[in-house]
Amino acid sequence: MNTTDTQTTEAYASHKKVYPREVHGLFASLRISGVLVLLGLYYFIPWISWDGHQSVLFDLPARKFHIFGLTFWPQDFFYLAILLIIAALSLFFFTALAGRLWCGYACPQTVWTEVFLWIEGKIEGGRSKQIKLDHSPWVKYKFVRKTGKHIAWIVFALWTGFTFVGFFTPISELGHSLLNVSLGPWETFWIVFYGVATYGNAGWMREQVCIYMCPYARFQSAMFDKNTLVISYDENRGEPRGSRRKGLDYKRAGLGDCVDCTMCVQACPTGIDIRDGLQYQCIGCAACVDICNEVMDKVGYSRGLIKYTTENALEGKPTRVLRPRMIVYAVLLCAMGLGLIYSMATRVPLGLDIIRDRNALYREADNGWIENIYTLKIINMDKTDHRLSLSAEGISGLRLQGAAAEFTAAAGQVMEKVVRLQADPEVLNKAGYDINFRIQAIDQPVLTLTEKGRFIAPVRY
Amino acid sequence: MKNNDSEQDIPKIQKIIAVFWPSFLTAGLATIFFFTAFDPQLMMQLAGYTEISRMAGYTVGFFLFWALTASTCALTCYFRRPCPR
Repeated sequence: MNTTDTQTTEAYASHKKVYPREVHGLFASLRISGVLVLLGLYYFIPWISWDGHQSVLFDLPARKFHIFGLTFWPQDFFYLAILLIIAALSLFFFTALAGRLWCGYACPQTVWTEVFLWIEGKIEGGRSKQIKLDHSPWVKYKFVRKTGKHIAWIVFALWTGFTFVGFFTPISELGHSLLNVSLGPWETFWIVFYGVATYGNAGWMREQVCIYMCPYARFQSAMFDKNTLVISYDENRGEPRGSRRKGLDYKRAGLGDCVDCTMCVQACPTGIDIRDGLQYQCIGCAACVDICNEVMDKVGYSRGLIKYTTENALEGKPTRVLRPRMIVYAVLLCAMGLGLIYSMATRVPLGLDIIRDRNALYREADNGWIENIYTLKIINMDKTDHRLSLSAEGISGLRLQGAAAEFTAAAGQVMEKVVRLQADPEVLNKAGYDINFRIQAIDQPVLTLTEKGRFIAPVRY
Repeated sequence: MKNNDSEQDIPKIQKIIAVFWPSFLTAGLATIFFFTAFDPQLMMQLAGYTEISRMAGYTVGFFLFWALTASTCALTCYFRRPCPR
C-alpha cells in the first residue's frame, strides 16, 4: 500500500494515522488511574475465589451467574433488565453533567487503546520517533521494532481474550487446559475472536471506532445542554493566535494568549484541533487541557486556555448544575437503584413452572372427581437445602394428588413433579378456574412462592 | 460530481461495516435474550438432534443470529439504492 507518506487506507476512509503525544498532568493521571483500576479489575477478578467458586463467573455451560455471594439463574433475568436500565440512566446523567466522561476515562476502547499506545511508545519511542520510523525504509531496525510491537500487542490481546473467556468458564481450569494444550474448540475460538477484536480495535482502528462505529458518539450530543461540561478553547482569550518572541509585549502586538504551538493537536488521540470548536470527534479525554496548561506554565501565562467549561460560561452566563433534567435523572436513578436493592433483598430463591398436561383437558377420576394433570418444575436456587411444602388452592375442596406434600430440594436442584388436582364436580359450575400452586420452605416460611395455573372442568348445559 | 452525497461517495469499507457492525450488536443482544429463555441443550434434545455442548449451542446460535441480522442489513442497503430509471 501507500508508504510514501503516513496516509494509509484504514477501515473507514483513507485517513492520516494519529500519533498522540504522551501527556502528563491532572487529567492524564486520572485517566491512567482509571485504566489501572478498570484493567486491574478485569484481569484480576476472575482469579479470586469466593465461597468455593470463582468470584465472578457467568457460568454459561451451567446457566448460572455467580457474582461474589450471589447466584443468579435465567429466572432472574428481571434483575439484568433493571441493571441495564440503571446503566443507561447513569450514562444520561453523567453525559448531561459532564459530557463524554465515559468516552474519556472508562470506555473499554479508550482503556485498551491507552495500553496499546503505551506498548507502542515503549517499543517505538515517542511521537516524533514513531513518525520518523514510519517514514524510514524497511531496514533491520524498523523491522525489529515493528515486529516486536505487534508481537507484544498480540500477546496482550490474546491474554485479554483468555481473561474474557475466563469470565464464562472457570478460569483456573481454562488455564490448565491452555498449559496442557487441550483447550476446547469453542473456548479457543472465543479467545482468538476476542483477541483479534482487541488487537484490531485498540491497535489499528483506535479513534475510528469512536468516530464511525460507536452509536453513543453519534447520539451523545442530544443529551448535552448549555450547562454540560465540555472541553473548550477560550477563543476570546487565545485569538489571534501566533508564535512570538520571548519577552515581547504580545498584547500590544495584537496577539492573543495562544502561542500556536499545536501541542493540543499533537496530543489529541482523535487528531482534531480543539481550537476549531466543539466537534463530535472529541472524546473528552482532556489531553489537550493537560498539555496546554503545561505550555501556559512554560511561557508564564495563566492556565486554562483550554479547559473544562460550559457553553453558558463561555457566553459569560452563569452555569447551573442543578437543573430540572439533572434532578429528573437523579431521582429516576435513585428510584431504580433502591428498587433493585429492595427486590434483591426480598428475592425468593425458589422457582416454580407449571406445565399443563397436553393430552387431555381433564378427566374423570375413579372416585368421580374431575382431575387435571400438571408437570411442576421446582427449582431451589438457594445455596442451602430446603424442606418444601407444596399446596394448591382456588376451588373449594381441591385435592392435590401424586406428590408428597413435603419434600426436600437440595441446593441448586431442579426437580420435576407430576401432580394431579382433583375437584368435586358438585362445586364446579364453570369451564375454567384460576388456581394457585404454592411452595413454601418449612424451615424458612418467608420463602413462599405462588404461581397461577388453570383448572379445566367439563362444560355443563 | 463534487459535494454529491450519493451512495458512490461512501467508501466500500464503510458499506461493509454498515452491514456487519450493527448486525453484530443486535445479534449479541438477540443471543442474550434468546438463550436466557431457551436452553440450547434442551432445544436440541427436543428437536431430536444429537447432543451438543451448551457452549457450542451459544456459539452457533450467535452466528446464526448474526447471519440473519447481517442479511437484513445487507438487504436494507441494497434496497436503499436508487431505482434504475
